[in-house]
Amino acid sequence: MIAQQKTLLPERVAGLLGLDQFGMAGDLLATFLAAFLVGNLMLAMTGVAGPWAKRKITAAFTDRIAVNRIGPFGLFIIVADAVRLLSKELIIPENADRPAFDLAPIVVASSALLGFAVIPMGNGVHLADPEVGLAYVFAVAGIASIGLAMGGYASANKYSLLGGLRAIAQNIAYEIPLVITAASVVIFTGSLRMSTIVQTQAEPLLTVAGLSIPSWFAFVNPFAFVLFVVANLAEVGRNPFDTPEAPTEIVAGYQTEYSSVYFVLFYLGEFLHIFLGGAIIATVFLGGPAGPVLPGLVWFIIKIWAVFLLTQWFRSAIPRVRIDQLIQIGWKGMLVLSFANLVLTAIIVGVIV
Amino acid sequence: MNQWIAVGALGLVGLLIPLGMMAVSSLLRPSVPEDSKRATYESGEIPTGTTRIRFNIQYYMVALLFVVFDIETVLIFPWTVMYRNALEGGATLTEVLVPMLVFVGILVVALAWAWRNGAVEWARSPQQTRSVTNEQR
Repeated sequence: MIAQQKTLLPERVAGLLGLDQFGMAGDLLATFLAAFLVGNLMLAMTGVAGPWAKRKITAAFTDRIAVNRIGPFGLFIIVADAVRLLSKELIIPENADRPAFDLAPIVVASSALLGFAVIPMGNGVHLADPEVGLAYVFAVAGIASIGLAMGGYASANKYSLLGGLRAIAQNIAYEIPLVITAASVVIFTGSLRMSTIVQTQAEPLLTVAGLSIPSWFAFVNPFAFVLFVVANLAEVGRNPFDTPEAPTEIVAGYQTEYSSVYFVLFYLGEFLHIFLGGAIIATVFLGGPAGPVLPGLVWFIIKIWAVFLLTQWFRSAIPRVRIDQLIQIGWKGMLVLSFANLVLTAIIVGVIV
Repeated sequence: MNQWIAVGALGLVGLLIPLGMMAVSSLLRPSVPEDSKRATYESGEIPTGTTRIRFNIQYYMVALLFVVFDIETVLIFPWTVMYRNALEGGATLTEVLVPMLVFVGILVVALAWAWRNGAVEWARSPQQTRSVTNEQR
């Protein structure tokens, strides 16, 4: 395969720092450094998105100004908020189920980060490219619901428990349309490897006035793209599917009893999940890091921020669905549509090929 | 080098960063032990009843359905991977498509059965059903 010949980030780091001459230890160190780089890149995204961009975007939609006191455009609020939140007192509710209560935030935050291992971010920022890439990314993203359920149950609070239950009901209802829709893309690529999926999309679809349009699967199969974006919104628990934390019904859902650094980790995990969802959408449907003029990494970041902007837009524009409506939309609507999409795609590909 | 080592390294980073944040926070934050603020939060009211409430049976129903369909997605993935290659390799459409259609068809029948039995309908207790009919009157 051609894909395997491309160097991945660990080898690049090893080559750049001259670590490849130290054998196994050097390789391991280079791999760790590469993973640290990718992890921090994504954490930097969430750092900008959580305390600053989210406020600014919502404020723009509701005609307010939002943070503007510290630094240019209020950007230094990121530092101020980080210090403020980390220096809050940690209150453990009585009756809390202790090990689970402490583990839940770690599970949520680290499971989201794990998914980025197989995402090609352009300019060689690609940690690993295993053959099962797409299946791996869905498997890892699914771990978060265990963390949410742990937090919800261990908090010893009715609202947390309900929030945790809702989070599971929602994640499992929309996981299947999500995976089935992604499978309809795999029919075209014939591979689960992320780099092959991106390569397949680089081929020109058609040429309009000298401009060749790449065969991004969002253009090839727009129906699947819309289905995937909607299922992804439910998967990351954003409006209109943010029932697990519905503040008007169950306080804050699974994170009601969390404070201080545990709350930060939950919050971080959620934002990492939005970006992971954006990264999956970008890789599977929007040609990965491909784009004109600008380097690949910049395009990749633009694409995942576009998905983030979409979630924040919906947050300001669309009302929340009730939990019973959510279950019905998932099992009666999305599931049936995603199966129709899979079967139709298979038939069309079968007739064309 | 094995690629999964890189995945493991990211897992390690994903574990170390939260732990590091916890360590930093434990150095920064105050500790003012007091019992009343540890009470279960119910919007400032005195907490009522127990936490281990009875919740809607619907959550079990959808979880059971999920197990069926999740295994099915696992079985669909290998088929999607080989589908196009098999067609380009000269296999006929009936050889590669029809078995899968039968497989998906059986599952769709199962979904229709669950649908008819109300497994994907939000379950109401008899009490709730009564209050709904009262509202309609």
